[in-house]
Amino acid sequence: MSIKIIKKGLSDRIEDLGRYGYQDLGIQPSGPMDFLSAQLANAILDNDLNNPVFELHFPASIFEFEQSMWICISGANFVPVINEKSVALNTPILVHPKDQLSCLQPLEGRTAYIAFKGKLDSNHAWLNSYCSFQTTLNKEDHFTISSDPIVAISLNPFKEHLIQQVQTSLFNEHEIRFIPGPAWNDLDAESIQLLMQAHFSIDAKSNRMGFLLEGPTIQLSEPKQYLSSAVTRGTLQLLPNGSIIILLADHQTIGGYANLGQIILVDLPRLAQFNNHSHFKLSITNVQTAHQLYRAKQSWFKH
Amino acid sequence: MQSQRSIFQIQLLGDHAIVFKTTTGLHDGIDHNLLAFNQFITDEKIKGVRDIILAYDTLTLIYDILSFDPNPYLFANHLLEKFLAISTNTNASKADLRCIEIPVCYDPSLGFDLSDAAIKSNLSIEALIQQHSEKVYTVYCLGFLPGFAYMGNVPKSIQLPRHASPRTNVLAGSVGIAGKQTGIYPMKSPGGWQIIGRTPLKIFDPNTATLTLFKAGDQVKFNPISLELFHQLNAHQDVD
Repeated sequence: MSIKIIKKGLSDRIEDLGRYGYQDLGIQPSGPMDFLSAQLANAILDNDLNNPVFELHFPASIFEFEQSMWICISGANFVPVINEKSVALNTPILVHPKDQLSCLQPLEGRTAYIAFKGKLDSNHAWLNSYCSFQTTLNKEDHFTISSDPIVAISLNPFKEHLIQQVQTSLFNEHEIRFIPGPAWNDLDAESIQLLMQAHFSIDAKSNRMGFLLEGPTIQLSEPKQYLSSAVTRGTLQLLPNGSIIILLADHQTIGGYANLGQIILVDLPRLAQFNNHSHFKLSITNVQTAHQLYRAKQSWFKH
Repeated sequence: MQSQRSIFQIQLLGDHAIVFKTTTGLHDGIDHNLLAFNQFITDEKIKGVRDIILAYDTLTLIYDILSFDPNPYLFANHLLEKFLAISTNTNASKADLRCIEIPVCYDPSLGFDLSDAAIKSNLSIEALIQQHSEKVYTVYCLGFLPGFAYMGNVPKSIQLPRHASPRTNVLAGSVGIAGKQTGIYPMKSPGGWQIIGRTPLKIFDPNTATLTLFKAGDQVKFNPISLELFHQLNAHQDVD
């Protein structure tokens, strides 16, 4: 035993970068909502970027450590404290037996991540992945982490630069770009205009399956039925009542609603950090730009 | 070959997926070219492909941007050309499809909506069971839950709409009807389909290599069994 949940949070999870190869069986890929922060927390600890992390939603779980280890907290700022003393984000932290980690308030962002140095007990893995399968972290859950002899981990100029780039991308930029999808041309002209000009926010009923948007009512130029087909992380689905849902990490594998477009991958971590008071606009981009941006951001992690 | 190439329309879906859609529309079952293309792409083991999802009249490739071809549209065109060049004499025919037989107990104690469904369809319970079980269905896609197969088409006389408000707890193995579709709940779940029976088989088992009983393209036939046999064969853990 090395980490124990002593109080259950709202919906905390364990995630690595996703479970692919099973969507044809209806098994969703999952993975962190903000994969950039999950990767950052691992990078700061010199981990493989796919190492499993805890994903926290506020109110978050309270954790107790049962052995010394290095951890790193990234993503949303939930004002994390260890034994009631505040600790920094995006920094290696050495915790000791009996230390308790809790989060005080959702100051900035929506999801936080805890990475730890060491190897998580493989009992929690299923189908090549540690992603929670339709479960959340519960009180009394234990996670065994076999860590090598404790070696000091520190920040360096490379990591400091990486942190700055990730934080700017997540919290100082506001663009949410998409590529129009198969049903885009079925929208009426007025709806296209509304969609491109509106300020959207995220409805409180949103979760890891998708963000329901608050905004104008959008309509097809005439009612149309679609055969179900594959959807992706980032798909903009138009519901029959005229509202839009953006499918996210735990999305179903197929969908039968009008597919208006897909948010590009690089903008999904930013979207995942918007809280229910954030407002944002949608804009159109293309595949080539989306790929360039994705490659550029992933290259930040390479020395 | 120009005319042949137009059997599928290629569309990029966002920045990490490609859709191949049949241009001939959906008829009875999944288009045999689409099934053959699914097999072809699977066998090609293309670098950077994360998922291949067949559903009704589309096949979607999900790819990893960092390891996939930098020009996905061009790549998709080449892939389709290669497929067409070799597929002329290897077309899958209906005879090659798997046919899976599923025992189902159509008893009102397991099929909560059976009596109601018969009344709504203006049929006796026996006639409804016969109509549901004599047809061979096609699995058009899997989704909603791991292993949940959308099968069609249900005979018109027993097509029933979903419940206006879903049941909170439909048991694993429950067989339901929703409009033209029929399906089996792989695990306990909320659900709005009209439940007319239950299979004793496990539809989704995370401890087996295949995980699920069905894949898109399968042919499925339901065989009525008695309540007694259901209890003998029952592999679910949530009853008795």
